[in-house]
Amino acid sequence: MAKAPNSAQIWTSKTNAAGSASFSDRDSGFVRNTLAGLMPFAVGIAMASLLHFLLPGMVGLYYSRIVTDIGIAIIMAVSLNIVNGMTGQFSIGHAGFMTLGGYMAAFTSYYGSMCLWGNTEIHGGFLGTGEWLFVVSCIVGGLLAAGAGYVVGLPSLRLRGDYLAIVTLGFGEIIRVILQQTGKVIESAEALKTGGLSQMIPPPVGGALGFGGVPKYTNLFWVFTILTVTLVIAYRLKRSSFGRGMISVREDEIAAQAMGVNIARQKVLAFVIAAFFAGIAGGLFAHERGVILSPKDAGFQRSFDYVIMTVLGGRGSITGVMLAAGLLTALPEFLREFEQYRLIVYALLLIFMMLVRPQGLLGIHEIWDLWPRRRTTLPPTASLMHSSTMPSQESKR
Amino acid sequence: MNTPASTTASTGTPPIDSGVLLDINSIGISFGGLKAVQDFSLQLPAAGLFGLIGPNGAGKTTIFNLLTGVYEPDSGEIHLASRRLFNRQPHEITAAGIARTFQNIRLFPDLSVLDNVRLAGQLHNQQGLLSTLLRTRGYRREEQLLQEKAFNLLEIFELQDRAHELASSLSYGHQRKLEIVRALATNPQVLLLDEPAAGLNPQEKKLLAQSIQQIRDRFQVAVLLIEHDMPLVMEICENIIVLDHGNTICRGTPREVQNDERVIAAYLGSGLTDEESSPAA
Repeated sequence: MAKAPNSAQIWTSKTNAAGSASFSDRDSGFVRNTLAGLMPFAVGIAMASLLHFLLPGMVGLYYSRIVTDIGIAIIMAVSLNIVNGMTGQFSIGHAGFMTLGGYMAAFTSYYGSMCLWGNTEIHGGFLGTGEWLFVVSCIVGGLLAAGAGYVVGLPSLRLRGDYLAIVTLGFGEIIRVILQQTGKVIESAEALKTGGLSQMIPPPVGGALGFGGVPKYTNLFWVFTILTVTLVIAYRLKRSSFGRGMISVREDEIAAQAMGVNIARQKVLAFVIAAFFAGIAGGLFAHERGVILSPKDAGFQRSFDYVIMTVLGGRGSITGVMLAAGLLTALPEFLREFEQYRLIVYALLLIFMMLVRPQGLLGIHEIWDLWPRRRTTLPPTASLMHSSTMPSQESKR
Repeated sequence: MNTPASTTASTGTPPIDSGVLLDINSIGISFGGLKAVQDFSLQLPAAGLFGLIGPNGAGKTTIFNLLTGVYEPDSGEIHLASRRLFNRQPHEITAAGIARTFQNIRLFPDLSVLDNVRLAGQLHNQQGLLSTLLRTRGYRREEQLLQEKAFNLLEIFELQDRAHELASSLSYGHQRKLEIVRALATNPQVLLLDEPAAGLNPQEKKLLAQSIQQIRDRFQVAVLLIEHDMPLVMEICENIIVLDHGNTICRGTPREVQNDERVIAAYLGSGLTDEESSPAA
């Protein structure tokens, strides 16, 4: 034992091996690293552009609209999966965050347009000024939702399981009721100027009638660009120390704490990130053609749709949840001819899934786990304890 | 619990050469009317290997829970390397240098073996959220280091071939071992082992006994061991503390403890010493 390094040495020792294949570029230049970090975003944006310019011509506006809906549903389901799937907190108020963010975004772009241009027409074409106002509005909506996520995340430190679910359910309903109490939409720039600040209380976002007249900026490009950002962030989060921390909270809170995980921080962080993306998705939804934002959107019906997507996809599986969100958004559209049987088919599908594959489509795996994958090679460390006195497992069977 | 216990306490603690690492000064806790632990003291030297034994319900695991911040003691103080641990969350105590294993295995079943270890190790490789999401160079370097550390540990315990399997797929003996590896990955100064031999066969117990001693030597950690397996405890521990109904009834070397009347009474339930059968009963 005399030569055995002590713990400090073990923890700081860098093995001389260059490390596993996936990290072989770690000593290469800053530029290359940065490019590698940004590459997924670039690919996603390129694909979003392709979709945006080619899809409507290929399949027509109706199906393009369904694809847009699928994109928004995936953003919602993947973000909810950070809370429900990865961190294991059962939230059924995700539509509350979405609607809150949507209203905030619509408020910003609607009244922002009025202040800037005196009307609420669409300004500029693809990537024009109007679209940038729309993006900023979505981010503002996301930030407000993230703030709400922080507030809703706090009770999760004390509540578990069903009780937390009730709190999040209550949150959605509170948002719905508050939005019903809001004031009438101000319809002209003159009225906005003359009315003064008092007309902002309560916020003029339409009350129970819904928020009409919001400029319709949402298009395939922006939906899939934001979807890309959501997916990359969700995936990187999952494969990082944060993701491991969140999953450890899901698996066993007591053990997680004993391993040095600050579970309060992990839970609140999960809620804040998920709510942020839900808020942005709400902004996309609010600016979609044919949508009039209404307080009903915050209700539990819509929240439940997203919960079902995460359950069907598999807890914590990003690709599984994407599949489920795509399927469950597209399916009702294609079952429209059997309108009266639609809900029955939907319900039967759920029951079937719960019986045959209760862990969801992909369980805890990602879709590429289904193929035999290249394993991270072990760093061939100078065998620290090679033939020495540590117990051999051979005898242990 | 008056004079006899306290006299043994003062004589039983041997002179310590390397200084006291974990200093527990008469801590106690009650749950309602039940005094789960009373007036428990222990001076654990750096790289010491002490045992904590006692019949079921004696308060051994409660002491671990007090040490790791799961419960806050009603009275008394705990010092780790002369820093007082007071009103700290469990994860802060782990960061300060006390790690534990659990009596009933508490691995993260749906994480891989490697991730179980990395999760524990990441305590000392904390990453910012932004650098994580952008995968900056610093982030990659830290993750790489963390992975190497985890593999080093797994290799020492010969679990590296299982690194990518789910923790739940390991055999029982390996799961017990992984719990120890995971606790060591937090880079502790004090390692609390809660019945590591439970459920192991005699062969595995023998190997475990060697392992514990080697862990102590190699990682320079102080070990406090709860165990029901008497031969194991008597073989490896330098010092043993015996609890019964929350009270320290005896402490000393294995030989002293084995021959102590109160210990025999506590284990065999003899009526010889009436005042020892606790009022809580």
